[in-house]
Amino acid sequence: MTRSLNELRPVYVVGIGWHRYQNPSETPYVELGLTAIRAALADARIEWPAVESTYVATALLGMASGRPMLRHLGATGAPLMHVENASASGSTAFRHACIEVASGISDVALAIGVDKRNPVRRPDTGLGNLAEDAIVPFTHFALLTNEYAVRHNASTDDIALVAVKNHRNGAKNPNAQRQQERTLDEVLGGKRVSGSLTSLQCTPIGEGAAAVIVASEDGIRRLGIDAGRAIRTTASVGRSERVYPPGAGFDAALTQETADLALAQAKLAPKDLDIIELHDAFTVEELHYIESIGLCPEGHGVRMLKDGALDIGGQCAINPSGGLIAMGHPIGPTGIGQIGEIVMQLRGEAGPRQHGGARIGLAHMVGVGAVCYVHILQR
Amino acid sequence: MLSNKLLKPGLYSVGSSDGAGPTARLMGGRCRCGYVFFPMQTYGCERCGSHGDALTPCELSAHGTLLAEATVHLHADKNRPAPFTIVKVALDDGPVIRTLLADGSAPVAPGQRVAGTLAAVGQTESGETVLDLRFSVAS
Repeated sequence: MTRSLNELRPVYVVGIGWHRYQNPSETPYVELGLTAIRAALADARIEWPAVESTYVATALLGMASGRPMLRHLGATGAPLMHVENASASGSTAFRHACIEVASGISDVALAIGVDKRNPVRRPDTGLGNLAEDAIVPFTHFALLTNEYAVRHNASTDDIALVAVKNHRNGAKNPNAQRQQERTLDEVLGGKRVSGSLTSLQCTPIGEGAAAVIVASEDGIRRLGIDAGRAIRTTASVGRSERVYPPGAGFDAALTQETADLALAQAKLAPKDLDIIELHDAFTVEELHYIESIGLCPEGHGVRMLKDGALDIGGQCAINPSGGLIAMGHPIGPTGIGQIGEIVMQLRGEAGPRQHGGARIGLAHMVGVGAVCYVHILQR
Repeated sequence: MLSNKLLKPGLYSVGSSDGAGPTARLMGGRCRCGYVFFPMQTYGCERCGSHGDALTPCELSAHGTLLAEATVHLHADKNRPAPFTIVKVALDDGPVIRTLLADGSAPVAPGQRVAGTLAAVGQTESGETVLDLRFSVAS
């Protein structure tokens, strides 16, 4: 018989840390990663030798980038592995760190995401294609924007309001790549990218690092970690794309089935969620995914957005970190940074962007392929 | 037609000619389970996993209904100078494909009927006209 994460022993996030997401720079990845790991160790108030296993999420650094970074923490001989799962690399690393602790193999594990912007190399499957070289991610989502707008009679200006909200949240986040509030006119007036998407509706290219330390109750006790600041992971689900009915958007369909499984695992309903960090690389995605997760019926996302229901302080704060649009999307770190943001919010330590009374948060990532990962954290 | 060369002969072939130029036939495949896909391959069926002889070539009509369009304003690859328009088309025979709208095509919108034709996109060194698939409003 198989078991889900929350049927194993409880696993808690006990330490979080970042190197700020930023524009591409000369800073070596080693420095980005070490900054985030040392911040997470300091947050948990533990020392590096307590970490029994490390999952390094990175998509763009090249083979075996982990050990040349981790050795500067003191070479303990603990196991490490690299996780590449496109945009969901960090979420996948977090899932496997949780599984390792929940299974009892380790008491303390680290998930560290680190990346610098390098050319993306896609595998050659040996199959031809009509024009895939002309369809980069922003064009994939420009097509979805056009479909969403027509199907739900939504204006593309309204869809752009997602960016206004997320830039507003990012302006309050010292770890965000973009920390500037933007008006709708600024968002719409920016450089046109593809379809109705403008540059401020698209995630920026960047670099950075995020780290999360997870621990068992035994580990928390043994190391004297403050249990009052530990946040439990109550669901973890990973899925990959199936064959959906012709014309159905796989991004939304895959998110729906993954989120449904995660909510069932945690025995929660969508209305129970206080916070969602989701994959808003492009504005339309946020509407698709809140509908797929079940916050509202399909096509009603714009109404919630305009009512302020998705704001910090609203019914359910979506992307209080600023999301991929404002906080940024350095690939490997992104899914781990989402977990860190939710932990900060559930602890009540999010300062000016605190969503009052937050008790339950959901983290969602998709990655090309497509894969989808959803985690639920609870205070 | 002898002076024409297809850019991607593994993906489409020349069908009958109409006023707008030669129409295209897409080289898809069909699985024993009934699943129709594009392009043809024998690695295995995405729906049921059957492979090899279970998958047979199946010519697909290049007629379909537009699901979405996007005009690309920025594109890093200099081999594809922007602007150009990408269309997402639900083929009448099942698969959904994405490719380029013909240069000079009338604007298109979701729900519209579209068709793929083979359009001149360049010349080989020996002077043959290179044809590639482009969609435009169905005549």
